[in-house]
Amino acid sequence: MKPFIIQIVGVICAIQVVCADTPTYTNFIRQYQTPSNVVWDCSDAVAVSGSQLSTLAINPGGARFDLWTIKSTPLTEYLLNTSYVGAYVPLAEVHIRSEDPYATICRTRADRPFYVDITVSGLLSGAADPTASKSVTLFHYVQSYGVGGTGVGLDRTQATLLTPQVSMVTNGLQTLSYALNVVPGADRTKIRGEERFSVFTVADVRPPTYNIPATQLSSQYIQIWPLADGSIAGITQNQYIRFQLPQVTFTYNDLYPNSTTYAQVYKGDPQLGKTGTVVPGSLRVMNDSTPQSIVLPVTAYDSAFDSDGRWTMEVVTVTPFGIDRLAYVSFDLDRTMKVNGSFTTTE
Amino acid sequence: MKTTNLTTLVSLAVMIAGIARVVAAEPVMRDVATHDQLVVTLRKVEQADPMKQLAAAKGGAAAVVKSEDPSVVNKPKSLLGESDIISFDGLATLVPKRAIMQIPVGYADRIKIEPGVKIVGWADFYAFNRGWITTVEISRVQAEGMQPLADDTKKQMTKCRNLVVATYQGGPISMLPPKPTTEPTTKQP
Repeated sequence: MKPFIIQIVGVICAIQVVCADTPTYTNFIRQYQTPSNVVWDCSDAVAVSGSQLSTLAINPGGARFDLWTIKSTPLTEYLLNTSYVGAYVPLAEVHIRSEDPYATICRTRADRPFYVDITVSGLLSGAADPTASKSVTLFHYVQSYGVGGTGVGLDRTQATLLTPQVSMVTNGLQTLSYALNVVPGADRTKIRGEERFSVFTVADVRPPTYNIPATQLSSQYIQIWPLADGSIAGITQNQYIRFQLPQVTFTYNDLYPNSTTYAQVYKGDPQLGKTGTVVPGSLRVMNDSTPQSIVLPVTAYDSAFDSDGRWTMEVVTVTPFGIDRLAYVSFDLDRTMKVNGSFTTTE
Repeated sequence: MKTTNLTTLVSLAVMIAGIARVVAAEPVMRDVATHDQLVVTLRKVEQADPMKQLAAAKGGAAAVVKSEDPSVVNKPKSLLGESDIISFDGLATLVPKRAIMQIPVGYADRIKIEPGVKIVGWADFYAFNRGWITTVEISRVQAEGMQPLADDTKKQMTKCRNLVVATYQGGPISMLPPKPTTEPTTKQP
């Protein structure tokens, strides 16, 4: 009986949990033997990333490896990943790519494309080979976080399984290209949710005692975050402004987790792509895990205007996907005070 | 000949300069996409579903199937639910159920989660609590219930006043109940 050497690659995704205190997380890897149902704690010390060998042989059948992290206070468990390996079970890997280089969780914006790479190896095709070795099944799930949702504490068993499911019978890399997400939502600009792609084994049933249900080989999800929107209050379109600039209020909604948003002004009518002077106090840099909204009242920003005339003020957000204009307003500025007078002299 | 080479070099230089300009170009500013624009794109995505394309790909790499959702049918269970928690002196750890082979009466109140304890891995917890925890190293077949424990081990356990945990290669392992063995039938003469 040759012991199988299984390499476990445990990359611990940072859990996006908002907590006032610094939480303590402890990672565990559990090996579930099938069909014997023996459970082994093979987590000697699970670091944030790394690999270790499992010395518990998986003959016959296979073993499922679950990677968990436990938060001490309050006691909470998070299943980070699960993978199944077996003597003749194919290997599969799902990798999702987007334009956002954020490494912790794959994510993108509601208007942007993403790509799913599925690599399958170890598929057999012989007439005598077990059914479970001849194909794997690809599943596609979508799940909305709801209005304002962040996905924290999400019950992923409630995700919607889309059709069709695809049986993959050939080894190699397949790439699925999605121009846009298909997470359900009435307003397509305000989608919050995730799409998940999972590869499962085919159920391995050999009566009377050997019955291994379809088990996950690999799975990855991509978070979809809404497009930002913004508004400028305090100045109306074509307003004629004399002497002192009024207080303006910038409202930024759903700023992308990795973004820089600001208001800029430049002389003339609106011109897409023009670079202007940043309005003091309007800049917000986001480096977060979820979108944020903010309201910024700004006064005393006259220094951004170096002359009178026609001006445009616009709100711009810079993200990994490019530069988007969220709002703009044009107005006429006249701060010059003219004094009409006359001098007369008398002898 | 020289003129031809010079022309080629100049063309190449112009081409490289053009490419460099494209690569170095700053991202273009655009107006944020609208709901209506995205609805149009979504329709196209739904019509050209990449999953359907994968299934229809030439060479029979894949095929459409219909099966029940395995992520619901065969989802991983709760780690906490499938573990016994051992707590002592501000620390706690999780071991698989059936890994604790013996709980002396005096330590029964330590098989629970204490409020405010810090969860640590088994190795760390055991290092601090060797005084009252003993491990019994078992084999895979013993864990499967296919082979009983050695008599010596059983004797030591009966004398031991510590909490006893079954381990494999130092990690806690569940020990399943002994499987009924098929006794050879002996016929009476």
